[in-house]
This record gives sequence, C-alpha cells and structure tokens, in this order.
Amino acid sequence: MIRHQGAGPATEELVIEAREALRHRVRRRAIWVGDHFRREWQIYVLLAPTIIWFILFLYKPMYGLQIAFKDYSIFRGVAGSPWIGFEHFQTLFGNDQFLRAIKNTVIISFYSLLFGFPMPIILALMFNEVLQQAFKRTAQTIVYLPHFISSVIIAGIVITAFSPSAGIVNTVLGWFGVDSIYFLTKPEWFRPIFVGTGIWQEAGFQSIVYLAAIAGVNPSLYESAVVDGASRWQMMWKITLPSIMPTIIIMLIIRIGNMLEVSFEMIILLYQPATFETADVVNTFIYRQGIQGGQYDLAAAAGLFNAVVAFVLVMAANTIAKRYSRTSLW
Amino acid sequence: MSGVTLEKIVKRYGTATVVHGIDLQVQPKEFVVLVGPSGCGKSTTLRMIAGLEEISDGELRIGDRVMNRVAPKDRDVAMVFQNYALYPHLDVAENIAFGLRIRRVKKDEIARSVTDVAKILGLTDYLQRKPADLSGGQRQRVAMGRAIVRHPAVFLFDEPLSNLDAKLRTQMRAEIKRLHKRLGVTSVYVTHDQVEAMTLADRIVVMRDGRIEQIGAPMELFNHPANTFVAGFIGSPPMNQFEAAVEMEDAGPVAVAHGARIALPALDALKGAQGRKVIVGIRPEHASIEPVGKGSTVSVELDLVETLGSEALLHTSIGDTPFVIKAETGGDTDHLSSVNAFHVPVERIKVFDHETGRVLGSSQMGAAA
Repeated sequence: MIRHQGAGPATEELVIEAREALRHRVRRRAIWVGDHFRREWQIYVLLAPTIIWFILFLYKPMYGLQIAFKDYSIFRGVAGSPWIGFEHFQTLFGNDQFLRAIKNTVIISFYSLLFGFPMPIILALMFNEVLQQAFKRTAQTIVYLPHFISSVIIAGIVITAFSPSAGIVNTVLGWFGVDSIYFLTKPEWFRPIFVGTGIWQEAGFQSIVYLAAIAGVNPSLYESAVVDGASRWQMMWKITLPSIMPTIIIMLIIRIGNMLEVSFEMIILLYQPATFETADVVNTFIYRQGIQGGQYDLAAAAGLFNAVVAFVLVMAANTIAKRYSRTSLW
Repeated sequence: MSGVTLEKIVKRYGTATVVHGIDLQVQPKEFVVLVGPSGCGKSTTLRMIAGLEEISDGELRIGDRVMNRVAPKDRDVAMVFQNYALYPHLDVAENIAFGLRIRRVKKDEIARSVTDVAKILGLTDYLQRKPADLSGGQRQRVAMGRAIVRHPAVFLFDEPLSNLDAKLRTQMRAEIKRLHKRLGVTSVYVTHDQVEAMTLADRIVVMRDGRIEQIGAPMELFNHPANTFVAGFIGSPPMNQFEAAVEMEDAGPVAVAHGARIALPALDALKGAQGRKVIVGIRPEHASIEPVGKGSTVSVELDLVETLGSEALLHTSIGDTPFVIKAETGGDTDHLSSVNAFHVPVERIKVFDHETGRVLGSSQMGAAA
C-alpha cells in the first residue's frame, strides 16, 4: 500500500471514498427513479399505448430490414436467408426504372415543397385578414373539407374533372376553342395535376397550424404597430410572418423529412403505364417490385435507401435551421 | 406641444357603458396620471386617446384638432404598452427604428435618431441585442425609446411598470420622471399603483367605475380628498375610515365611535348636526403616539407592529374597528409595543357624509391654516 507522507489521506483511501460516493449516488438515483415511477405511474399508463404502438409497428419491423442485405426467401425466413451484402443496392442502382423513380421522387417532392409548402401559410395569412366572421368560417370549412375525403374519391374527382369527354377542364377549354387534352395519359401533365391535387386536398387543413400560430401572436404588437402607422400589409409582413417563422421552420423541417414520402396511394390511383415516365416514384417502384413482383428483399433495399436519404435530409434541415434561426426540432 | 382635451367621452360595449362621459383637460407639457382600481376605465380612456378604441360619444381633441375619427397613426401620439410590445424578431436598434421605417424616414436620419435615443436611455451597448436577451428594465427602456424616437406630441403610457419587480419599478419611475423633465412632452399615464401616480404626476385623475372621482395635484388629493374612495385610494397605507355619530359640545362638534370621543373641525356642514351619522377619516401618518397640541386622544388596542425600518405600522383597533398608525421608530421598536392610544390634531381630521361619502365643507380652521 502506498502512503503519502505528510498531510493528506492515502491515494487508496481516496479511491475507496470515491467508489463509496459513486455507489451512494447510484443507489440514490435508483431510489429516485423507483419513487418517481411509484408517484407518477398514471402518466406512464397513459403513455403506454403510444410506446407499444411504436415498438410493434415501427421498431419491431426494423428487424426485417436485414433482408435488404440478404437473398430473402419466404420459406427460409428472415433469419435463415443467406447474407449477400450490398448486392440488392448494386442491382437497384443499375436499374433504369429505379433511377427514374428516384428522379421523379425528387422532382415531385421539390414541386410539392415549392408550391405546396407556402400555400397553407398564404391561406392562413389571408384568413387572418378576413374580418367578416361568417365569411371566414364558411371559407375555412370549404378549404378544410377535401382533407376529410378519401384519396380514392379525390382521385375519382380528378379523373372525372380531367376527362377528355365530359371533364369540366376540357369543357372550359372547349369554350375557348381548345381541343380536348388527354391530361392523365400525358406524362408532362402528370406532375402539375398531382401537385395541384395535393395542394387542393391538404393546404386548407395544414393552414390550421399557422392559424394557431397567428392566434398566439401578442395583440399589443399589432396595436403598437397601428400607433406607429403600419398598414395591414406592413403588419402582415413585419409582424405576423416573422412571428410565425419558428412554426414555419419546424413545419419545413418536418416536411423535408417526409419529402421522399410522396403520397404514393394518390400516384397509384392516378398513374398509368403511359405516365410512368414522370409519375413512377420510389414508393410505387417498391410497391410494384415488392408486393406485386414478390421481390421483398430488393424492395426492402429500395425502402431502406429512401429512409436513409430522408434521415439525412431531416438532420441537415434541422442543423441549418438551428444555425440560422434559433428554431429547431431538437 | 399639444394638450389633450376630453369632453363628455363615453365608451360603450354593446349595452354596457364602461366610461360615462368624462371631461379632462391635459395641458401642454403636463404629466397626467389616470389612476384607479381594475375595471375603472382608465386603460379604455387611454386607448380611446390613442385611437385603439372607438369613442362612442363625446369629443377628443389633441391640440385644436378633433381626433374622434382620425386614424391612430395621424394623431401624433406614441404609446408604451404594459408588456412592452417589442418585436421579438428585431434587435433593439430595429425595434426603436420601426416607427420611423414605417413612415419611410431616410436611413441616415433613422440611424442618427436611434443613436440619440439609445444615448438618452443608456441602450447604446445593447443595440444589436434581441428583446429576449434583455432584462425587464432594458426592455422597458427600449419600449420608451420606440416612443421617444418619433418625437410625438403626446406620450401615452399604459401601466408600463407593472411587469417589473419593486426595485426596478422605483428606478424606472425616476427615469420616466427625468425623461419627462428633459423632453417636456405632454404625457398621459395609466396605473393602478397610487405610489406611481403620486411620484410621477403633475396632476392625478382618480377614476372609479368609468367616472372621474377627483382631479388634482398629488398633495391636493392627499390632503383634500373629495370623497371616501379617493381618501382610501391615495396614500399608503390608506386613510383610516370609521363611522361615528356627531355630538355638539360647547367647544365644537365631536365624533363618537366605540366609546371614543374625537374633536371634529368646526365645519359649516356640521352646524346643528347633533346625532348625524358621518364617516371620520384619519391618515395613519396623522395619528401620533406623542401628545399633540389641540386635538383628541383616542384609546386603542394594539394587535400588531409591522416594522418598515425608520417607520412602523401599528395595527390597532378602536372597539372592533381596525385602525392603522404610522409611527417613527427612531431605530427601535420596543417602545411601540406599549402603545395604547393615539393623538390627532383636529385640523387633520376629515369628515365625510355617511350617505354619499363626499367630504364635508371646508373648516374655518383648515382654511386659516
């Protein structure tokens, strides 16, 4: 045993003391956690369904992700299938259809973001300026309504509206002497129709978030601006918009995270082989290859690729938001 | 500089009238404080002057111009709000400059004005900070800077200090007073704090239930309250008030309450008032524990001594009526625990009508004094 000469305890004693202190701390912490659960158990009971849902439907299926790296066979199961490394990814990136699907996903997502993201903000700002309450409520109900209609019905409405024989769009075009256009069979029309449908269906409902943010703006900011001489337009630009900017940034981060999750059921309902060139996205590719073609492992690899890109996007958006605006998701 | 004139100003919300035809004349460069309890209509009155509330009836003039239908921006007023109303996304300099930018003032002129105002308010080092990075006092100064920078004809303050802690409030109160001396701008200030009103005002307007109870200089209101409400509202602690019956003695009228006999001033209104019920008012600082020349001595029962430092509040009772005495401690409170009576000079006693609460006519003694 090494002992220090002179004042001060031996090193060993110090180590023993430190260990004791640590043990006490750990014990105290364990007691604290135990007490906490005993005291607050009702909150955890309320939380339980969500946690169970997450585990069952989001975490447990992750076990199956490994088939992206395996030569998967239903008969051998996930564990029994042999590992093949990145072979599926090599196949995917050598597949023109997959590359086309990535390109379409990026373009459609970009258009949706560019035109679809500002729309609810504009709507919310417009609603906020409407002083006539009855008109405001009616208009809000009308724009919220499409959100509650099933995608199948929405697709039916779109198909009917753009029908070359009886559709309202071609009827109106006919009044101006324009020949009927087979919109849904023309690849160049698919993206505008899809993005426009998405805006029509969701912009109103999404504006609720921004309306709530606007409602939270301190009213005396407006009063102060009124006394300063600001017009309604100036107040919208200089007070309302900057005040709801944190909400806009959060929504943008979430939107970027979901960017590659193009609403594929709508695409499946609207596209046809004639428009695959501009309409086929990664998710529809996965659906065709995995579910219809039975190539689960290849589809899992495509899905994993999609998820990794989405993860990178949301991380990047969050980092940028944090750096430039003090607002971030985490 | 412009004055502000309110003539029979009324504010109604539907069928409810919250301001009942008030008349007020604020002189140019004057600092007028509207004071009263919550819901008395003081903020509504201020907001009507600012143009943030429509005037239901009556006439508002700033200078010679009738302002009833004039937009807030054209009234040449600047307002400081209770919660500062600073734009959180703008820094201090941009907040101060906001009003000028809206009015499309030239950039170099804005920069010069902001620098000047920042210097006056001691904000030069904080110009690049956002409101979230400022203390309450600094935020309040920025809010004032935003008002000052426009050089308005009238400043309107809506309880600007009520969000600050007591110490900061005292500090900012002095700053507002200094600022008003320096700039000499007509100011209307709303508060529910009578101490703020007393320290800041050239004249105080005491309001209750949408009506003006009394207008006057701070000491005028303190010494000559028009009614029991003003007597109870102005002064801290408030004036002691208790019911009494008048008895006429050879020496003059006397108030009898709970066995105590208190000599009253020889008021005209008390002539032949034998048996009349009145309310007697005595300020805590006018009740002395030392004997006084001409006055009354009243026995009390001491409940509690509250020490404030150089002064102490003695919570006593006359019968079952509470009575507060403010006494000098002289650095020691031991001698206060044996207090069992107070003395009050007759000229310090206020007498109010039992029914209306109005003060009864001026005394010959008070007039002579």
